[in-house]
Amino acid sequence: MMPLIEILTPKNLNEVLSILSNHDKVLKIIAGGTDVVTGLKQESNRFIDAEILIDINHIAEVKGIEQRNGKISIGAATTFTEIYKNQIASKELPILKKAVSTIGSLQIRNRATIAGNFVNNAPCADTVPALLIYNATIEIESINSKREISLQEFLQGPYKTQLKKDEIVTRINIPVPPKTFVGDFYKLGRRQAVAISRITLAVLMELKENNINEIRIASGAATPIGTRFPDLEKFAEGKVVNDNFLRSLASKIGDEIIKLTGLRWSSEYKLPVVQQMFYQMLNRMTKRIK
Amino acid sequence: MISLKFILNGKQVTVETEPSIRLLDLLRAKLNLTGTKEGCGVGECGACTVLMNGKAVNSCLILAAQIEGSEIVTIEGIANGNELHPIQKNFLKYGAVQCGFCSPAMVLSAYALLEENPNPTEEEIKDAIAGNLCRCTGYKQIIEAINESAKELTTR
Repeated sequence: MMPLIEILTPKNLNEVLSILSNHDKVLKIIAGGTDVVTGLKQESNRFIDAEILIDINHIAEVKGIEQRNGKISIGAATTFTEIYKNQIASKELPILKKAVSTIGSLQIRNRATIAGNFVNNAPCADTVPALLIYNATIEIESINSKREISLQEFLQGPYKTQLKKDEIVTRINIPVPPKTFVGDFYKLGRRQAVAISRITLAVLMELKENNINEIRIASGAATPIGTRFPDLEKFAEGKVVNDNFLRSLASKIGDEIIKLTGLRWSSEYKLPVVQQMFYQMLNRMTKRIK
Repeated sequence: MISLKFILNGKQVTVETEPSIRLLDLLRAKLNLTGTKEGCGVGECGACTVLMNGKAVNSCLILAAQIEGSEIVTIEGIANGNELHPIQKNFLKYGAVQCGFCSPAMVLSAYALLEENPNPTEEEIKDAIAGNLCRCTGYKQIIEAINESAKELTTR
């Protein structure tokens, strides 16, 4: 049974912010509802106390995709279908597009939104590794404040973020990487469609001659939250690309993941898969550049 | 209670409802449109698929208040009176109906696909119905029926 609660449908961002500034009631924002509605129905403790839902589907300020000052700005309530079909996002952010294409089903992608994917900070959020390697920042507003922070900073721990009660994520801003960067995204689920990911990996790199000039590596699901690997990236930068090096890099990502998670019952299965898939991604990408 | 206005199968309707019931329950319990089925109730099986503004969506994940002003099409709105839609005819012709529980939603997913992409490849058909589970696993016939419907609809 669904709990009987009030649903507000404000018409612009100011109205949303003013509703959020009322601390007398427990408010939850709803957009696509793919998380909120199942959460309410299953009496998840993230939603069980909600008294009012704020539907942000009709707020122009948090919808749509624009390109400005070398950045692509995606409204928080933009659906995955809208991102997948958008020409700017498809051309400039192919790894995000690939991540989006692996999410749920068409029905889910028609409703679920980009900010909805990370505001609850589930480890398995498929777009997070892609957004992390693009150095995405997010705009957060409340009635009397506005801030922009990196997504990595925003994500604090499993199901924990920096978002305060009176705040809403309004936009995701992504600096367009130079054309010299190539990247890839990998997802492992229990089946091809409508699968919660067990492992996700995203990589973006730039080679100069045969050296790694810059590399950005992120994972999800295999780590407690979506995360970059700064030590691994530092280790790789400046190195000459050859098969031996790619193999050692792939082996090291296993060590880095164990540092974050400790040894788990699933490590024996997951780590070799992560290492092998990471190696194959690097191999394909460096061959494409050469 | 709210007074909800939307277009249902081509007709403007107004319904008194609790705002936070699911679209699925609104359709089945309030409006007696039981062609929309509840399977998993968490957005994984697709049996509750309806069209919202032309797009396939899971009606178990949408709350009544969220459809204000929208256009909703259920399986009851697909046929032209007593004349079945070509997709429905082909589901029968190709034996794409076994137990039938997934069929209304499969037909609607196919309908949304063909409206947007009249000439889908087999891969595109599979992608469009990836969110519709058929426990009888009659996918081959379903894909054939959709493929045949695409051909018929484009040559008319």
